[in-house]
Amino acid sequence: MSRRGWLALGVTALAALAAVPLVVRRDDVLNFLFLVLLSVALAQSWNVVAGYAGQINLGHAAFFGLGALVTRTLWIAEWPVLAGAALGALAATAFALLVGAVAFRLRGAYFAIGTLALGEILRITVGNVLPEVSTLPTATIGAYRLADRYYFALALAAVAVGVVAALERSRAGLGMQAVREDEEAAEASGVGTLRLKLLALVLSTALAGLAGGLFAYYHISYYPAHPFGPHWTFDALLITFIGGVGTVHGPVLGAIFYVFLKEYLAIRWVDFHLLIFGALFITIVLLLPGGLVEAAARLRTLARRAC
Amino acid sequence: MALLELEGVSKAFGGVRAVSGVSFTVDEGELVGVMGPNGSGKTTLFNLITGALRPDAGRIRLAGRDITGWSPHRVCAEGITRTFQHVRPFAGLSALENVLVGRLYGRARERRATAAAEAERLLALVGLGGRGHVPAASLTLMDRKRLELARALATAPHLLLLDELMAGLSPVETEGVMVLLRRLQREGVTILMVEHIVWALLDLSRRVIVLSAGEKIAEGPPDAVAADPTVVDVYLGTGAGGARRA
Repeated sequence: MSRRGWLALGVTALAALAAVPLVVRRDDVLNFLFLVLLSVALAQSWNVVAGYAGQINLGHAAFFGLGALVTRTLWIAEWPVLAGAALGALAATAFALLVGAVAFRLRGAYFAIGTLALGEILRITVGNVLPEVSTLPTATIGAYRLADRYYFALALAAVAVGVVAALERSRAGLGMQAVREDEEAAEASGVGTLRLKLLALVLSTALAGLAGGLFAYYHISYYPAHPFGPHWTFDALLITFIGGVGTVHGPVLGAIFYVFLKEYLAIRWVDFHLLIFGALFITIVLLLPGGLVEAAARLRTLARRAC
Repeated sequence: MALLELEGVSKAFGGVRAVSGVSFTVDEGELVGVMGPNGSGKTTLFNLITGALRPDAGRIRLAGRDITGWSPHRVCAEGITRTFQHVRPFAGLSALENVLVGRLYGRARERRATAAAEAERLLALVGLGGRGHVPAASLTLMDRKRLELARALATAPHLLLLDELMAGLSPVETEGVMVLLRRLQREGVTILMVEHIVWALLDLSRRVIVLSAGEKIAEGPPDAVAADPTVVDVYLGTGAGGARRA
């Protein structure tokens, strides 16, 4: 599809989704779409650093969690929620720069393990410092409107997709992909790899922090350590790989597929759904490393040959 | 003034002196060959010049400017780029994107709008014209070498380092690369090349540097170097040079 075609598709989808709360009155539908949009935002944020810059960050939940923590704290202290989310994103990126300067000395599997450990350290620390469940004040619960959360999610998902689409066409995006493919060859071709990796991390964690803020705005009650849990990282990773890592539309397809399947499986096979996703992930990596995007491309080729 | 100047450059890994007190210069427009048996320090020398390794001692200058210890991307922006002994194109990117990386980031730092045309021209120059959309991963070895060369040229280098560009190629392909290198020479690109295919090196270059165990043991016109007893010793073992002398 041409650039214009994608833009038209994006605008149409956005308009249609924006109209949903006006037409549909069922909370379960809005909740489902909310989860898809939150997943799109979170997966795209991971896609920037891992899919484009090739840095497999397994501590992504740390930045989601920080965004949630800061947003929730400020919002309960009666800040406007968007200001809280902005500061949450800022906190996440500030922490990311601090970490990145050190962690980017590690490569490949070492970087992945290092970031995984970091995420866990943060989760345990927050769990120990803030063991009490965080519940919204009664007045806030009374004024709770799901549509507000939905629109926040829609805007954030649109921004996340927009950021990745812009990156795809930019000089910086091409440089990041060069880093992903071969860091040494990229350096030899003039690419300042450390700067680009930090840029990818900043973009990625800013989006993750905002997604965390969205989470804090959505849930009435949760344990502060919950958004730091490693399953947030693995959700983002699975969605990105299922859809198509390092593509603009892959994580969008992946999020729709994943949330749908997860909700369905969670109802039918409560205990087994993690097992099923594990098997699915291995299958995709082995047989279809380009995810749904690659599957679609292969089908198109087959169809063209058949015609 | 020499384009590239090395002064007493050394590098050791643990107790092994990979490169030891090497000095030489390369003038603008020259094609200089680097020879030496396996493990004589040729690739280490390239890694030192391009900034992939930092020398323990010595200075490296490009057009008089001290670039010792600079990071590779800065060295590239200053005008030195390389190809790798084992080809390393960006496999997941298309051929055109590979060349664009060099064009957008190297010394050229061209704007994206105009870079594509030059990238296409370079692909055509190396014999990959019209194949810009092909994923680099699906190119043959020869074509991947061509692509790496195009990517290196895209950075608009003053000096191009070629690390065994011809290794693994058939005689016909080697001949093709030599035609290409002669064309680059005519365009005024300065080249420093490591090559095991000695006849190609002797044919292309007017000056050859020979390394052995990290030290420069000979330098001069190819014929003179090929006749040098120390060089013959290094390649054919002790005694062979002596026999020749006798």
